[in-house]
Amino acid sequence: MIKIFYIKDKDLPFLINSLCADYKVFSPLIKEIEGEKTDYSYNRLFKGDIPRFSAYRAVEPLKTFFTSPLEKVSGYFKEGVNFREPEKIVIFGVKSCDIQGHKVQDFVFLEGQEKDSLYRARRENTVLISGDCTDFKNVCHCLAWEVLPHPTVGFDLNLSPLNDGYIVESGSDRGEAFIQRYKDYFVPAKETQVLARKAKRESFIERLRKHLLPQGLVSKAEVQRLMKDGYSADTWQKFMLTCVECAGCNLICDTCHCFLLSDEKDRDEFSRLKGWDCCQYTNFSRVAGGANPLKTRTQRLRNRFIKKFDFFIDNMGIPACCGCGRCIEVCPGKIDIREVLKDVKDKVSRNK
Amino acid sequence: MKNIYKPTEAIIEGIITESPNIKTFVLRPKVPFEFKTGQFIELTLPGIGEAPFTPSSDPNIKDKMDITIMKAGEITSLLHGIQPNTPVGIRGPYGLGYPLDKFTGKDILIVGGGVGLAPLRSLLFALFGSMDKYNKVVLRYGSRTANDIIYKGLIPEWAKLDKVNMMVTVDVGDPSWSGNVGLVTTILKDLPVDLNNAAVIVCGPPIMMKFVTLKLLDLGFKPPDIYLSMEKSMSCGLGKCGHCRIGPYYVCKDGPVFTYEQLKDLHDIWD
Repeated sequence: MIKIFYIKDKDLPFLINSLCADYKVFSPLIKEIEGEKTDYSYNRLFKGDIPRFSAYRAVEPLKTFFTSPLEKVSGYFKEGVNFREPEKIVIFGVKSCDIQGHKVQDFVFLEGQEKDSLYRARRENTVLISGDCTDFKNVCHCLAWEVLPHPTVGFDLNLSPLNDGYIVESGSDRGEAFIQRYKDYFVPAKETQVLARKAKRESFIERLRKHLLPQGLVSKAEVQRLMKDGYSADTWQKFMLTCVECAGCNLICDTCHCFLLSDEKDRDEFSRLKGWDCCQYTNFSRVAGGANPLKTRTQRLRNRFIKKFDFFIDNMGIPACCGCGRCIEVCPGKIDIREVLKDVKDKVSRNK
Repeated sequence: MKNIYKPTEAIIEGIITESPNIKTFVLRPKVPFEFKTGQFIELTLPGIGEAPFTPSSDPNIKDKMDITIMKAGEITSLLHGIQPNTPVGIRGPYGLGYPLDKFTGKDILIVGGGVGLAPLRSLLFALFGSMDKYNKVVLRYGSRTANDIIYKGLIPEWAKLDKVNMMVTVDVGDPSWSGNVGLVTTILKDLPVDLNNAAVIVCGPPIMMKFVTLKLLDLGFKPPDIYLSMEKSMSCGLGKCGHCRIGPYYVCKDGPVFTYEQLKDLHDIWD
């Protein structure tokens, strides 16, 4: 079965038109608002819209499509309070970091004894169409976590720009069915095209590597050890000083998954709500009676790092960071995840 | 499609006042609800919120469930104000509970503090149901004052049982109390327990568990034989919401009962 195809740029609008009949279609777009250009942000595409290939990841993390900042997840004590089947959606412009981050979300909500059925239904109703990165932002550092700037697994279809079109690789049964369904737009890719994709990818990795090398980033191999040895380092104290507890880092993170359940009553209807929670909030770990193991900002900042680089490596085998750098961009206190890790490494090596 | 966040209905049939700030609620679930001793449930006060509690009743009783609750925070305070026949929600059971199979053939030492006796009562019922499997049960219970002792009627009955040895102490004595006075660690001496064939189960406030654990280690008990009930902020109970992490574990799914062996190298476990 051929898994690699080619689609011409000029056919893409027709594909979008067909897709819009069957799905809600989202794609990152740069808009111009009052003369200023925005960053890539997911927008809904409608029939007639011309999609643009995004060079790097969008502002929003991919999780926004699968969990919500606050939503009703259950009514109770009344029969017939059920959810509609989630809408079928197609998401363009997903990047390799997003896919890596999304593995963590999948691990949390789909693995283990209990599975989140709403999350699963949304996942099953979504076609992920990823794309190679052709540029990077200053904060991008996927390679530090051994995540390549082009997806290799976890997508339904992946687009790699080449000449006047895109190489399209199918990465799942859903992707293959998708190509079958819209087969008029795709032709099998030529071997030379696949080779050209390889060369283009290698040259981009080289460019990114050159950007990252001078930064001296902490590596995947050493990060867990640093969390253990750096538990008492003064790094946490030092970087916490500019934290304003906005929790932007948690909210914008591709991998952060914590949530809080709460209840509501509207006349005789009881509802359960599920909303994102953030470990940088003061009361994240407070128990009834007032005890709080994460009382200080120092403890909470450290908690965020230990969860990502110790807990997840123990439980899942990968760090819960994909190097997207969103938390760096969002932080009003200029707390940079790369710098925090480098500081821990520095303190740990000085103590040896 | 099962919704893991949705509670099912139970009716509060009875409310027993155990102490000035502790009550036992007798729940009758509308659909059969089974739990293993030491597992916990999420109890919903409809429209208000939910909180985790470990049932205090015999796990062999399937149609009813007791939950002993101390007034500590918002939800527990509201629970203390409700009347019988109130509907509540339950989800669960969650967690691993007590590994009863590992207690077979052992001297079982149970150390409880305050309302920490609640899950231990469920454990005691489970043990008493098949005492032929265990060498003996030694119970050491500490309460703040005589007035704060829970299950007052049951304790003298347990003391009369064969192969059961019991001692109770209060932190602060008063004229109504003629028994031991002192922290629970003061009645952990001359224990009729074989150090090399023991399982020690501890449940109480974190500060009590800390000092009891230190005392037990001092006495020569081994970390893999000490079982601790850990308490953390918790929301989902399912290992997903991220609140109850201790080191590489979630208290809800990997606990709430851990051996000291699992915890001893982790940071800040008593906080």
